[in-house]
Amino acid sequence: MNKKFTKEMVDDYAEKLLIGLTDEENKMVLDEFEIIDETINMINEIDKIENVEPMTHTLDDFEYELREDVIEESCSIDDILSNCDLHNGREIEVPKVVG
Amino acid sequence: MGYLAKIGLEMHCEISETNSKVFSSAANTYSSIPNSNIRPLDMGFPGTLPVVNKEAVKMALKTSIVLNCSQPEYMYFERKNYYYPDMPKNYQITQETKPIPVGIYGHVEYECNGEEKSVRVNNIHLEEDAASQDHLFDVSTIDYNRAGVPLLELVTEPDFHSADEAVSFLEHMRSVYQYLDISEADSKKGQLRCDVNVSIMDENLDENNPKNWGTKVEIKNVNSFGGVRDAINYEIKRQSKLKDNGEYDKVVQETRRWDEESQSTITMRSKVDALDYKYFVEPNIPKFKISKEWLKEIKESIPELAYDRKKKYINEYNLSEYDSNILVKEKSISDYFEKAVELGCDIKQAANWVNGMILSYLNYNEMKIKDFFITPEMLKELIDLIESKTISSKQGKDVFYKCLEEKKSPKQVVKDEGMMQITDENEIINIVNEVINENESQAKTYDSQNPKALDYFVGQIMKKTRGKANPSVASKLMKEALEKLVK
Amino acid sequence: MKYMNKSIEQLHNLLKEGKVTSRELINESLELSHKIQDKCNAFVTILDDAKEEKITDNLLSGIPCGLKDNYSTKGILSTGSSNTLKDYVPFFDATAVEKLKSAGAVFVNKTAMDEFGMGGTGTTAHTGIIRNPWDITRMCAGSSAGSAAAVAAGVYPYATGSDTGDSIRKPAAYCGIVGYKPTYGMISRYGLFPFASSLDHLGVLTRNVKDAAIVVDNMKGIDKNDMTSWDSSNINLTKSLTGDVKNKKMCYIKEICDINNYSNPSDELREHLENFMKTIEKAKELGIQVEEESVDQTLLNASPAVYVVISCAEATSNMSNLTGIVFGPRAEGNNYEEMMKNYRTKGFSPLIKRRFIIGSYVLQSENQERYFRNAQRVRRLLVDKWKELFKKYDAVILPVGTGPAKKLDGSKDILTKETQVLEEHLQIGNYGGFPSITIPNGFINNLPVGVNITGNCYDDSNVLNIAYALENAMPYKNQIAGGEE
Repeated sequence: MNKKFTKEMVDDYAEKLLIGLTDEENKMVLDEFEIIDETINMINEIDKIENVEPMTHTLDDFEYELREDVIEESCSIDDILSNCDLHNGREIEVPKVVG
Repeated sequence: MGYLAKIGLEMHCEISETNSKVFSSAANTYSSIPNSNIRPLDMGFPGTLPVVNKEAVKMALKTSIVLNCSQPEYMYFERKNYYYPDMPKNYQITQETKPIPVGIYGHVEYECNGEEKSVRVNNIHLEEDAASQDHLFDVSTIDYNRAGVPLLELVTEPDFHSADEAVSFLEHMRSVYQYLDISEADSKKGQLRCDVNVSIMDENLDENNPKNWGTKVEIKNVNSFGGVRDAINYEIKRQSKLKDNGEYDKVVQETRRWDEESQSTITMRSKVDALDYKYFVEPNIPKFKISKEWLKEIKESIPELAYDRKKKYINEYNLSEYDSNILVKEKSISDYFEKAVELGCDIKQAANWVNGMILSYLNYNEMKIKDFFITPEMLKELIDLIESKTISSKQGKDVFYKCLEEKKSPKQVVKDEGMMQITDENEIINIVNEVINENESQAKTYDSQNPKALDYFVGQIMKKTRGKANPSVASKLMKEALEKLVK
Repeated sequence: MKYMNKSIEQLHNLLKEGKVTSRELINESLELSHKIQDKCNAFVTILDDAKEEKITDNLLSGIPCGLKDNYSTKGILSTGSSNTLKDYVPFFDATAVEKLKSAGAVFVNKTAMDEFGMGGTGTTAHTGIIRNPWDITRMCAGSSAGSAAAVAAGVYPYATGSDTGDSIRKPAAYCGIVGYKPTYGMISRYGLFPFASSLDHLGVLTRNVKDAAIVVDNMKGIDKNDMTSWDSSNINLTKSLTGDVKNKKMCYIKEICDINNYSNPSDELREHLENFMKTIEKAKELGIQVEEESVDQTLLNASPAVYVVISCAEATSNMSNLTGIVFGPRAEGNNYEEMMKNYRTKGFSPLIKRRFIIGSYVLQSENQERYFRNAQRVRRLLVDKWKELFKKYDAVILPVGTGPAKKLDGSKDILTKETQVLEEHLQIGNYGGFPSITIPNGFINNLPVGVNITGNCYDDSNVLNIAYALENAMPYKNQIAGGEE
């Protein structure tokens, strides 16, 4: 439909999500974009759609209480690190972060 | 051609006075032990959900009211999505853009170099802090204790025109946060962080017309007030110089950082396109109705702030600006002083005691006034003892120390030490005569025109009575006796 | 099969009477688990060391069940059927799991699913395709494929599931069993690996409506760890199953159910819709008034796009925490970006990678209004429309899908635009958080098909009761794949 959907654009999005795509995967995304774009055009045809309030939560008029400011005991360091492949003492280790 | 600088601030203040974090119930306290204040949400474990801390919201609303902002009917949160190792979920829950933060379109009056100034507040909102990183030789380590600590972000309009104004405002806000019991607001503890934006425009143009504004440069993460001052001054200078040289196009809209070492701002992002945070409303936190009752309750709990107290001390109490400044610096000190006044202490006396003996003692002993043994009630007692001439002011100082040493009330100390001042004229006359006899030759040469001559003799009376004689009575009687003698 | 084909109540009575022990039930269930694993590949983990539980007055006590692998289970592998979590062992239970534990339930396996719930076929699990026990050349639908297969095959009376677009209710139809998704927030989502937070629901797959009520009664409750949960302590689903449905009213939607709306319907579709109308007749015989209603076709046609846009957008954000830094098999990299990228590239399946990119695209600031916000607007329109229907009717009743389970061999649904709404309408139940239940209502080509009943928020008792009555009027209750009963 548009030249706005290009292989480079898809790669760029993937890059920003820290995900790598194969060429095949890239092509599939492009195809899917086209389909979605078509249907979105349909949405834009709905009369006065811009006057409708977007629905951000599932239940309307939901009443609830905020949490009381009470401390819960910290998780143990063993639990916290139990799934971590690389830690430095009690801290999580990552490659040196610059900038 | 002169330029007008337009400066805006984004001030991040850690809320240190809640028990728990903003979206998890882990303790909100500093710990030197890494990863010791952790609930599963703080490290972004799968399936964890944010649960909003009522106290943090209360504090945000309190601040919003103090800043004269409007509060929304419904409070929402949103996600700011970006990847960074100190972000456990790789999105931050905040309320920056939609629909409305807890406070918008307010204004703050503050003092700068003796003048009252005003700045418009664009918004104040509540969000969470990221984890902290330690950069070692070839690796970095992450401590999630700080992840999820509540932050208040205050965004001003670019209404400041100088570094002085910006820094005065920051100091004002620091005091506000302390007075509201929201934060210790200590830069050294990393509780205050600022982003500054600076632009310059021709000073003869209309500031209200956006077309006249210059290119805005943002300086991120300046972590001390001194740094803010230096960064602003440097940036103004840098931009002005380029504009003077006809090279204003070299000033680009970008983010720079303040570098302490080189004392300059340095370009941060080399990428052309800015990060898109893909803000969207947080679906896990339903919209929350902020009731009018709650707002009223919160408003009523707001104490008088430093700025207003200072005005009162100067205008109503007739204290000096210098004294007032010292009194309002810390709310607990000001509260103490005001309680003493409320109990009926002479204002000037109370101010002198607090600013003098009490603060010296506290500073020397690195003590907080809440742990100070002498209560406002006891201070009144002490002042009354002096006022009633039961003891002399010099004795008063001794009583002060004795109270602290022996943890007794002033009345008790005076009683136990038998420090009652001697005011009985007959008693003093005897001592006057004693002193004169012991200093006959000097007494005979007493010159009433010389004020110092009297001091010596009064001093002798004080020595003999170990300071207990009432100085003015002693002085009066001695003067009379000496004058009689030399006649 | 001696016991695992029975209902919860039957098992409970046998246990209470001492006619069977929890241990015996567990042994039988484990044996069946291994058998079905070979046949259908339904499980990620089989808990051979499952321990028996004390029998109490709680109907679930001592009885084996399965948990979908996106439920956090303390000390037990929980993968979400994704390679990103292939070695993840949570140190806390999901709230729903805690509740089942305190009811005395015995977990014997973690069921496989479409990766993180982001699929509708049961073919994207990191452990491979999940097959339909009625016909292993066919899919179970998804994402609660493993749970559906296991319950349909008689491994135990129930397994938990999750439903973001139809992930409990469609697999239930394809597997000839009951799939129930309660009102949003009735069961706490704490500990459930999120897919799309505003669409995710927890629920259950069983072989009869009463069992579904019993299980959800035990899973539900307000949770301090989930702000979107609410207090349902005044609701007792099991007790509300009276079977009395006189004067109840339901409607079905012309644009979805009328065969004349399809220009070239397959025989299967024709039969499916005819079968649906037979179910309507049965409902009427029970005293339920059923009417046909019309909904704007343009609005209905927009629903699939709404789903893709909202679910992908929320999913992209929800899965941002998967980087391998704190948990998950860490990947190599010279800097943190490389490390995170390698982990995500290797760990996510191609399908969900694509979903993330779409999600990212629709949230981008210059696109958000047109895609994401508009999708949220249409969501409201659809929800408002359904709520309008619920003012007149107790429930909306609709056929599930275009027929029985599809073949796995890639003769994939050439999703014609015409049948798309029929395939996907269940997602409207997620948009509004409506209670929704699928029950089997027939066979086509010897494969089960289902019908779905959806009601208004908080009206779960009413919806379940209608389903209960209808179920009893049909011969498919408690059926097991392979014909044994």
